[in-house]
Amino acid sequence: MNMATDTSRRQFLKISGLAGGGMMVGFSLSGCGPNPVSLAEIEGAFEPNAFLQITPDNLVRFYCPRDEMGQGVSTGLATLIGEELDIAPWDMEILWAGVHPDYANPDFGVQGTGGSTSLKAHFAQLRQVGANVRSVILEAAAGTLKKPVSSLRTEAGHIVAGGQRYPYGDFVGLASVLEAPENAPLKKPNQYRYIGRDFPRIDAIAKSTGTADFGIDIDVPDLHHGVVRRSPVAGGTLRSYDATKAKVVAGVIGVVEIASGVAVVADRYWAAKKAAELIEAEWDLPELAGVSTDKQIADFRAGFDVQGVTTGEAGDITKGLANSQHVIEQEYWAPYLAHAPMEPMNAVVRIEHGEGDVWTGCQGIGAAQGLVARFADLDAEKVRAHNTYLGGGFGRRATLTHVIEATQLALATGKPVKVLWSREDDIQSGIYRPSSLMRIQAGVDDQGQIAMWNAKRVGGNISPHTVGIMLPALFPNVPDGVVDWISDVAHGTFEDWVVDGSSVEGLFEDYDVSNTHVEHVTVNHGLPLTFWRSVGHSYTAFAKESMADELAWAAGVDPVEFRLNNTKNNPRLNGVIQVAREQMQKWDVAEGRALGIAAHHSFATDVAEVAEVSIENGVIRVHKVLCVVNCGLAVNPDVVRAQMEGAIMYGLTAALHGNLELDKGTIKQSNFHDYPILRMNEAPAVEVVIVDSEEQPTGVGEPGLPPIAPAVANAVFTLTGQRLRSLPLKLA
Amino acid sequence: MIEFFLNGKRVETDESPDTPLLWAVRDTFKLTGSKYGCGAGLCGACTMHLEGQAVRTCVLPLAAVAGKSVTTIEGLGTPENMHPLQQEWVNASVPQCGYCQSGQIMSAAALLADNANPSEEEVENAMAGNICRCGCYPRIKQAILNVAAIGVDARAAELAKEVS
Repeated sequence: MNMATDTSRRQFLKISGLAGGGMMVGFSLSGCGPNPVSLAEIEGAFEPNAFLQITPDNLVRFYCPRDEMGQGVSTGLATLIGEELDIAPWDMEILWAGVHPDYANPDFGVQGTGGSTSLKAHFAQLRQVGANVRSVILEAAAGTLKKPVSSLRTEAGHIVAGGQRYPYGDFVGLASVLEAPENAPLKKPNQYRYIGRDFPRIDAIAKSTGTADFGIDIDVPDLHHGVVRRSPVAGGTLRSYDATKAKVVAGVIGVVEIASGVAVVADRYWAAKKAAELIEAEWDLPELAGVSTDKQIADFRAGFDVQGVTTGEAGDITKGLANSQHVIEQEYWAPYLAHAPMEPMNAVVRIEHGEGDVWTGCQGIGAAQGLVARFADLDAEKVRAHNTYLGGGFGRRATLTHVIEATQLALATGKPVKVLWSREDDIQSGIYRPSSLMRIQAGVDDQGQIAMWNAKRVGGNISPHTVGIMLPALFPNVPDGVVDWISDVAHGTFEDWVVDGSSVEGLFEDYDVSNTHVEHVTVNHGLPLTFWRSVGHSYTAFAKESMADELAWAAGVDPVEFRLNNTKNNPRLNGVIQVAREQMQKWDVAEGRALGIAAHHSFATDVAEVAEVSIENGVIRVHKVLCVVNCGLAVNPDVVRAQMEGAIMYGLTAALHGNLELDKGTIKQSNFHDYPILRMNEAPAVEVVIVDSEEQPTGVGEPGLPPIAPAVANAVFTLTGQRLRSLPLKLA
Repeated sequence: MIEFFLNGKRVETDESPDTPLLWAVRDTFKLTGSKYGCGAGLCGACTMHLEGQAVRTCVLPLAAVAGKSVTTIEGLGTPENMHPLQQEWVNASVPQCGYCQSGQIMSAAALLADNANPSEEEVENAMAGNICRCGCYPRIKQAILNVAAIGVDARAAELAKEVS
C-alpha cells in the first residue's frame, strides 16, 4: 500500500469535484474515440481504455467500475486487472469510475452493483483488459529497447530485459500509438501472483484513519444543508405546514416544499435539523394509514385462501403426497426489515450555469446522474456524477430518493445542498425487505427421500418497485406519465400474471424432489419494497431449511444425513454439507449447547452453516458458527472470509432482533434502541472454510446470510424441543 | 464563544452551545473522520476522546467541552504514522464499509489506555456501545487483543522502528 498515492487519490476526488472532472463524452475500449474527460488530465498519460491510465511516472490508475460498500470489490477488481497487467493491486491508485456505458456491470447492462455479481461479471473482462494493455506495453518496450518481445517479461509494473528493469511508464508514449490486441493470452491459474492470495484490503488504511471519503464527508464551497420532513406514512403527501418557528432559527435560508415533503435549508446541519423539527406539518395519508401489523398479518394469512399464480410446477404433488410416509404442513413468518447501513442516506447536489454535480455513495452512479438530470431538467451529459465510498449498501443504496431531494433543494435555493437523513428517517421513511408469510406442505417417503413439496408465499413483490425506481433514473427523458403507467403495469403484472422471481427464489429449488408446486399470492399494503442483502433468500431459506429439519426429525433421520441424501443432484451444495459434517464430527460441543445446520444455494454459491447455540436466561445465545462455502475461485480468500463473517452477523441481527411493525401505517421502530443491531457481546466466533475450486468466481456478498437463521432455529429445536417458525426467533 | 482543545490545538467557535460536538468538529473544523450514525448515543460512530475518555459526541453539547481536551481519530494517528490499533486494523483487514471504524478505534484506544490487558469479556463489554453493521466484530475483538498482548507503547515503538 502506497500512502502517497492514497493521499493523492483523495486529493484527486476533491479536486475533480471542484474543477469539473467527471463529464463523460463517448470513448471506447479500443482507444479510438475521444478521451473521457473524467479521467484525470495527466500530460502524456496512456489511456488505452476506460479502466486504466498509466503516466510516464509509472502511476497506474484503475477506474473501478463497481461501488465499494465494504464487500471488498475495489480490492477484488484491482486484483483481476492487476494480475494480467502484472502490477500489484496495492500499487495501483483506485478511483471511482464516472458514468459511461463501458463501466456497465456485464451482468446487468447498466452501471449497478448488487446481486453478488461483481467478481463473476468482471472476471473475464477485466483480466482481458489487463492482458491486452500488458501486451501493448511489451510491444512498445520491445520497439524502444530494440529487443524481441520474447526476450522481455513483466513484473510488478516493470518490463524486465535481461538484468534491467524499466517502469511501464517509460513506454507509454509509444504504447499510446500502437494498436492493442483484443485477445492477448491470459495466464493459467498456476501463474497467478495475486489472484487466490491473501493480502490486506487496499482500502484498509483510509478506513482505519478516518481519511476515507464517504458521501457524508463531501464538502464544496458554500455548501448548505437540507433536512426534510416526510410523511409519517409511506406515500402520504403534504397537505399544509406552518414553518414560522423554523424560519427564525439562525442560519436558515429557506423552507422549501419538495416532492417528498417540506425541507429546511440552512448554512449548517444542526441548524437545519433543529429548524425542521419546529415545522408543524399536516399530511394527506394513503390507505396504508389504516394498516397495523395485526391487520397486515391477518391479510397475509387470508392470502392462503386465494388462488395464486403458479411457478415451479413439476411432477404431481398428489402422487407425491400418496407416496409420503410423513407429511408436515407449517407456516413461517418473516417481518419487514430496514437495511440500516451505518451511514444514513445523503447526497450533495450543485446546479450552476446549466450544469449539475452530484456526489453520493450509491449502488449505481448512472442512476444518480439520471435523477439529477430529470429533476433539474438538464441533459444527462450536463451532470457530473461522483461516487464515493459507501458506508454500507446491502441493497439500500440503489434507491436514491435523497438525490431527488438534494436536487430540488439545490434548484430552489441556488446553493449546493447536502441532504442528510437522520437514523429515524432511515428506519421510518425508507424502503424495506418484504415481509413474508410462507406455508410449506412437504412429505418424505419411507426411504427418507422428499416425495413432494408444496409451497405458497404471501407478500409484496420487489420488482415493480424496482421498475418505478430505476426507470426514471436510467431514462431521464421518459415523461413522468409514462413512468407511472409502466410502474402500474409492472405492479399488475406481478400480482396477476407472473411470479416475481425474487419473491420465491430459494423456496424449493435445492432438494431432489420431483413433485413440486409453488404458488404466490401478492398482498401488499403499500410499503415500498426493495432488495435487502440476499433478497428473497433472506426469508425463503428460513422456511425451506426449517422444513427440511422438521422432515428429518419426522423421518427419524439425522438432519445432516437427511440433507446429504436429498441433495445428490446438487453436488456443490452436497459438497459443502459434507465438509460441514466432517467438521461437526470433531466439534467439541459444550454442555448445555447444541448444533444446528442449514445449507442453501444462492447467487450461484453454495453455503452450509452450523451454529452452536445455548439458552442463557431465556435468551438465545449463538457461540460459534461454522461456514463452509463454495464460491468457485476465491479471488481474495480473506475478503471471502470477511464477507461470510459479515453476512452471518447481518443475518443474526435479523434472526435474533430484526422486526419492523406498522402502527396505522407508520413504522413503529425508529432508532437502534428499538431496532437493535447485533453487538460485539452477542457476536459469535466464526470459522470459514472455503472449498477449493478453480471454477469461475460466484457470489460472495450475500450467500453467507440465508443459512444462519434456520441453522440457529434448528439448534434451538435440538436444545429445547421448541420449533420457532417466526422471525425474529423468540422462545416461548 | 466556546473554546476547547481539538487534537492538541486551541480552537474556538461561536456556534450555539447546544450544538453537538460532532457537528462542530465535522462542519466547522472540517474533521470528517468521526461519523454520524444515530444522533442518540446508541451506535458509537461519533466516538471521540474527552479528557481521554470515550464519549458519544452526537449527544454531547459544545457547552460541555468548554476548556477541555478533545481527540478525534485524526488526532490518534495518520496514514503516515498510525496508532498501533490502526496498524493492526490494516494488517487484519478489519474494516469492510469502514464507516463505523473511527468510532470503534477510538473506543478501543480508550479501553487500552484504561486497561492495558483486558480479558475477552472486558473487550466485548467496552466495545458493546459501537455498532458495526458489516459485522466486523470478530476481527475488531482479535485486533484489540493482539495489540494488548504486545502493549500499545511497545507496539508503537516497534512501528516507529519499522518506519525509520
